[in-house]
Amino acid sequence: MMRQKTTFQLLMQTGAWVVLAFLLLPMLVVLPVSLTPNEYISLPSDGFSLKHYQNYFTDPEWLSATWTSIVIALSVAVIATVLGTAFSVGCWLLSDFWSTVARWVLIVPILVPPVVQALGFYRFWVKLGLIDSMTGVILAHTLLALPYVSIAVFAALANLDRRIVQAARSLGASVWRTVIAVIVPAARPGMIAGAVFAFIVSFDEIVGVLFITVRSVQTLPKMIWQGINESIDPTIAAVATVLTVVTILIMVAVTWRWKARP
Amino acid sequence: MIARSLTDKGRYWILILPALAIMLTFYIWPLVEIFGISFSEPRPGFDNYASMFDSRPIRTSFVITFRVAAITTIWCLVLGYIVSYAIYNTKPKYVGLMIALVLLPFWLSVLIRSFAWIVLLGRSGVVNDSLGAIGLIDKPLPLMHNEFGVILSMVHVMLPFAILPIMANMKGINPSYVDAARGLGASELRAFVSVYFPQTLPGVLSAALLVFVLSLGFYITPALLGGGRVLMISEYITYQIQELLNWGVGTSLSVALLLATAAVILAAGRFVNLRRTFLERG
Amino acid sequence: MSGDSFTFGQDDIEFKQDLGDITLERYKAGKIDRRSALAMLGALGLVPLLGDKALANAKELVLVNWGGKAKDVLQEIMGDTYAKEAGIKVVVDGAGPSAGKIRAMVESGAVVWDVCDSGPGSAIILGERGITQPIDYSIVDKANIIEPFTWEFGCANYFYSYTLCCNPTMLEAVPQNWADVWNVKDFPGKRTFRKSVRGMLEPAAMAMGAAPDEVYEFLGDEAGIKAAIQKYRDIREHVIVWPSGSMSQQLFLQEEVAIGCIWSTRAHLLKDEMPDGSFTTTFNEGVLSPGAWVVPKHNPAGTEQAMRFIAHSANPELQVKWLEAMGPGPANPAAAALVPEELKAWNPSSPENRATQTVYNDAWYAKNQIWAEELYVDALIN
Repeated sequence: MMRQKTTFQLLMQTGAWVVLAFLLLPMLVVLPVSLTPNEYISLPSDGFSLKHYQNYFTDPEWLSATWTSIVIALSVAVIATVLGTAFSVGCWLLSDFWSTVARWVLIVPILVPPVVQALGFYRFWVKLGLIDSMTGVILAHTLLALPYVSIAVFAALANLDRRIVQAARSLGASVWRTVIAVIVPAARPGMIAGAVFAFIVSFDEIVGVLFITVRSVQTLPKMIWQGINESIDPTIAAVATVLTVVTILIMVAVTWRWKARP
Repeated sequence: MIARSLTDKGRYWILILPALAIMLTFYIWPLVEIFGISFSEPRPGFDNYASMFDSRPIRTSFVITFRVAAITTIWCLVLGYIVSYAIYNTKPKYVGLMIALVLLPFWLSVLIRSFAWIVLLGRSGVVNDSLGAIGLIDKPLPLMHNEFGVILSMVHVMLPFAILPIMANMKGINPSYVDAARGLGASELRAFVSVYFPQTLPGVLSAALLVFVLSLGFYITPALLGGGRVLMISEYITYQIQELLNWGVGTSLSVALLLATAAVILAAGRFVNLRRTFLERG
Repeated sequence: MSGDSFTFGQDDIEFKQDLGDITLERYKAGKIDRRSALAMLGALGLVPLLGDKALANAKELVLVNWGGKAKDVLQEIMGDTYAKEAGIKVVVDGAGPSAGKIRAMVESGAVVWDVCDSGPGSAIILGERGITQPIDYSIVDKANIIEPFTWEFGCANYFYSYTLCCNPTMLEAVPQNWADVWNVKDFPGKRTFRKSVRGMLEPAAMAMGAAPDEVYEFLGDEAGIKAAIQKYRDIREHVIVWPSGSMSQQLFLQEEVAIGCIWSTRAHLLKDEMPDGSFTTTFNEGVLSPGAWVVPKHNPAGTEQAMRFIAHSANPELQVKWLEAMGPGPANPAAAALVPEELKAWNPSSPENRATQTVYNDAWYAKNQIWAEELYVDALIN
């Protein structure tokens, strides 16, 4: 039975749309700005131009930064997903006091202010000789991504019936075999979500990179940061538009896939 | 073989250890070192903490940090509540779209969103230019390089963090209580205030804690939109380190910020389900 | 960064890095040739191998400055010309020769740097500690360096200045001095000042009537400093700070500010970037600041090579080229006359411009910076 909407409900609904517009619209402003024919940030008043996109796609610095960010984020997604999945599976199997403590330890990076952890990285990376190296950035980002992977995998395992695991074990399967044949398949949605999160965390990370890299490692966020600080030009708007569009496409793809299978 | 002699528990720990070990070695230990530096540079002792407490600008910076975080949190809760409520209780046509719009900014980097705000709020930014063009204002409004601009863009960044816990909570609420209250003659508003809202309180508190804690440590947005005068602690720390090479004060400020964050979380633990807020975030 | 625990006598590291950034922008704008840029790209993967003696040898002279790309200008204008003259290979390292790093290198006994782009504050302190060599003024002619910017352990290599800049299109009248800048009633509009206190109290002192040559007398006691700080408190609602040289440039380009106290090297760029008639700068009541060459003890190429390079770098024609490339003012008094007419007004170290400026006092900052810094931040935010 469909009830007539009350004034209160209508008010809330209208309010919600206004708030959602507030969320969405500011991000869209980069699109027209990226199409301006001018060399400075402005709305296109006479005609559109794709030159800022051309600049992004032909400038070796922007391209190599994009590539660097992708390589780092993919490495982080793989490493963090493997480590984080093993971790969460272990914790799920144990489910005792100490495993809960371990889970709290692993999510510390969510709670620590980015600048504080960046200082920690900086001092320690200097000692290890990891400053300004890909390895150093991948390691730092893996640490920042692990909480998200472990949370996502653990959430996926919440739906797994412990009796299935007990059954597999009583039929003679080893711990490792049970993990691979029973638990990991159940964790898969969490692993995928975790890997996507890990990729995004790394791809967008800026504060740590500002501290632990100098010149030889240039990531996309660092280029954008430097661009905003040094010469705000419409190329940044073009980059921002490309990233926004790619994000929307990935979201649509993911939602569509999710819906395709129950 | 060693593996044979392991108990199942031992095998489980083998799964846990790699991630735990790198977290302890490369994350937790460096934080402990930061703690150490705050007591040892430039000379051993409590000097850094003493000068931190004596320093008026540092006190002010803490006040600014907590004020900005608090205002951001309140706005996020109000706006986030409206969105969540509309999604779960008003049967809108486009629920999927609404949820997608909540999630989208979540996926987009803070840096890009801050850039968008710079483009919008600048003195010759889109908002000022448009308002000027249609004759609503004759000189540009000060929208950026002040607390207004910082809070506006922080609310934008934090809003999804507020909406998700509230939504998760509302999802689990049984509508029959409100229906019962209405059936007993309560007005809609009254049913909302005394029956529905109390049930959503755990979600609201979760959201408040999450947004507040994340806001305390915020750096990018205030640094880009604050014009140097909305000096939050994170920016103060980078200023001490990068400008003055003053690691002693920079690290003691870091420790103070960390402890403040921990204190907020522990104090909130009395009212908020911490496991649900942080460990079991969906 | 433990090597940098020398917190006294900090030279303006940021300014040096800023010069590097400027060069990058010039390259992007096509003003520096491609070869230098390629050399820079090639060097991107190189790590300065501190402590490896094999890197440097007597066939090579290593100059060190602050940043990636000011590197290329130094290489091209000073390095390559010296290589030709002396028949020695010249390499520029952009690793940033902070006092801490120079000290660490000398104390470790593995010196790979020959001539470093430092500042007078560090030059004095490093010399006192026996870390750097005295300048050999029988090779470096004191007459080629503007007086009195020669010290026992260092000598000026170029000049920059904190200057008053304005965008007249945003103002009804253009401020002529710092007193005007503090007059927010007759000159409304946002102002930009540096985030750090360095170079900022002098303008405030001049706004209160101190003549350029009595600024540090004015700031000589607590009352003077507090009064200067109070000036910032008075106008803070009108202030946006610049954390980096590039940001100061952005604030003008984006028309966020109408008035500012920024580095002359940035003003040099802005005069070309801003539309005609929308940018002015004056050296009236500017704060002039020199950079300084220093030579670490036991430098691999030997004292004589280092000194001969320093003497070479004072060549007036080369100094003028340096000014043209990125805006630093010549250290050689003979260079001012050779500056092309259209650049004369933009030379921070010409006699006319020096006459109206005060000279940045490192000793004052060594003594007062830390607490002045704190009062300054407090004035702006509290």
